[in-house]
Amino acid sequence: MRTRLSWVLTGLGALSAVAGLALILILGPDGRFSTGPHSVETDGIAVVTAPKVISWVDLQIDVLAEVPAQKPVFVGIGNSVDVENYVGETARLEVTGFHTPWKPKTRQVEGRPGLPGAPTALDWWRTASAGRGGATISTNLPDETVSLAILSVGDSNLSGLKVSIAYGLKGGFFKGLGLLMLGAGAILLSRLMRRGEDIWAHDEGDDEDVLYVFIDDDGVEHEISAEEAEDYEVVEVEEVVVDEAGEVADEQPDPDDEPDAAAAPEPKPTSRFASRLNALKSSVGSTFERKPKLEPDAAAAAAAAAAAAASDDEELVYLFVDEHGVEHEISADEAEKYEFIDEVVVEVDDEPDEPPAPVPAPEERVMYVFVDEDGVEHEVSEDELADFEVIDEEGDKP
Amino acid sequence: MKRLVAATCCLLVLSGCSRPHERSDLSVGKDAARTSEVNRVFERYRLVRNAAIKLLDPRPLSTVESDAVLDIDSGSFEVSQRLAQKQKQDTSAIDVTKVVTPHFSKYPLWFLAVVRDRAKGVNRIQIFERAQAADPWLLVASPETVAEIDLPELRSSGSKVTPVSPDNGKGMAMSAQAAATAYATTLGDANAPEADTVVNDSFIRQMRAAAEASTGLTGVKFAQRWTAEDVRFVLRTADGGALAFVTLLRYDTYEVKAGLTVSWPEGTPQQAFLSTGISDSGTLQYKHQVLLHLPGGNDKPRAIGQYGGVVGAVNE
Repeated sequence: MRTRLSWVLTGLGALSAVAGLALILILGPDGRFSTGPHSVETDGIAVVTAPKVISWVDLQIDVLAEVPAQKPVFVGIGNSVDVENYVGETARLEVTGFHTPWKPKTRQVEGRPGLPGAPTALDWWRTASAGRGGATISTNLPDETVSLAILSVGDSNLSGLKVSIAYGLKGGFFKGLGLLMLGAGAILLSRLMRRGEDIWAHDEGDDEDVLYVFIDDDGVEHEISAEEAEDYEVVEVEEVVVDEAGEVADEQPDPDDEPDAAAAPEPKPTSRFASRLNALKSSVGSTFERKPKLEPDAAAAAAAAAAAAASDDEELVYLFVDEHGVEHEISADEAEKYEFIDEVVVEVDDEPDEPPAPVPAPEERVMYVFVDEDGVEHEVSEDELADFEVIDEEGDKP
Repeated sequence: MKRLVAATCCLLVLSGCSRPHERSDLSVGKDAARTSEVNRVFERYRLVRNAAIKLLDPRPLSTVESDAVLDIDSGSFEVSQRLAQKQKQDTSAIDVTKVVTPHFSKYPLWFLAVVRDRAKGVNRIQIFERAQAADPWLLVASPETVAEIDLPELRSSGSKVTPVSPDNGKGMAMSAQAAATAYATTLGDANAPEADTVVNDSFIRQMRAAAEASTGLTGVKFAQRWTAEDVRFVLRTADGGALAFVTLLRYDTYEVKAGLTVSWPEGTPQQAFLSTGISDSGTLQYKHQVLLHLPGGNDKPRAIGQYGGVVGAVNE
């Protein structure tokens, strides 16, 4: 399934990359594909596209109309209903078909020699421009039927008209770049998928690094791969914050927090794995418990064999308690260097830890005080009490 | 897997956004006006109208009004000039409560707007028309309804309302044009067969009362004639009926016996047009814009609003 998906992703990525590359190459950094100037043979006063000739939507087009001798010229795009009505009775060159980049079909339409009003006085042009010797417009084609009109202004005509057109996509270059990068990313991703690397499991962020560590019976940490870690059961997950310099930040435990049974060290006589996330800002670590079906690695096997020899099913854990009362797990060899104080038998089972039993409240302590003739109090024992007369009995009053 | 889906979606969205494509629907058409355009039309209308009111000159009005509205307003300006009266400018905030812009495939374009006049307690149901692409928007109809009356709900497809051909009577007792003709005939002759096809509404009763007052003048032969102009603006209502803007022409003709004179009270429009009265024969011309509601089914049409006045006079 994963392989199939990866190939689909490769295909999509390739398509995206090719499309992006094509956009970049065709449009160039300005996001436009230009053509012209092209001469238009007319001596009339209007060149207009027929309705339905412009059929594209969301295409950025720039039109530059140039006429010689500084003649005034107007370029505008408007809804075909408006444009058709405006030039309907005017003699004009009508563009009846057009193929990009420049392949127009035209026909001459007879009519009046003038326009019904100055094009610059109309308010329905979607975009328009007028100038002497040339005029240009730039617009994104809307989702309605529009017509382009190039009109002469005043008494002049459009003889010598030259038209340049640029087609483009708004932000086309960067969209192409984006598609190219997206495609490349998709292809890379698909390769990772085919290599079987677990790329989906960790959604915490790209800047998180997972380090899997196996701790053998001697307390020695061994770094293992993610695949090897999958063979083990997670015993503990630790989050370790690492600062910019890569040093692990001290985690200050919240004194109000309840003791976390899962995070507490477990006195199980089994091999353990620990994993740590080593990240710039935060990391998450996991401790794994070996699944029964797995073969232990050499060190763990030796330790397990030694422990098995010492006691059938029981394994011994030697703890060294330092002067601060902190327990350190030590090997059997190291244990010989220390004085044996106590032996604790710990029953290990797979059942979850029992909730801690409530600590019984300390028994009420009775203090007997003898007051001498100088009013000085002397604490006396219960046995000595028989020698004295009880004068007063005070209870603890909060 | 989630990321794969997300990445694919991003790819599709990115490539789909603003992607140039060919339109599948190449039909030619446009909404009569955009909201911004409507606002500009109203601003310009009020500016020009107030300038005309200030000067009591109807000529500037011709750049923002046309047809019966221009005739009626020009008549009122003439009345004010002759009576040396002033008219109030409209300086209150424009309270356009509704704008309806039909979709057209060719000119003329028009749209409907409901404007509330709080001072007079009426709603003006206005039609602005652009006859040609090179023409400006002109107010061509402005019947008034009392503010308490709600317009019949208009049928719309999406945001577009549906214009109806004036000759289309489908789903109604008659077409809008037939209703206009029947209404005019009924106004002119209460006993005409068409009188049974329209509702005897308040406008008809009011016009008949005025006609009877003139008919009762001793030594005066009075005749009233009504005609309906061609109906141009009809919208389909939600009940399957129609809302029609009808312009009616009214001619009040007086033939006075020798030695008598018909005159009108000071300050009335009739007196302004016929200041010396009618001594022989004369005709007063009126124009009334009537908003007719043609209900769906077989119910009779009735007027729900009107606007009118004297537009001219002939004294022979």
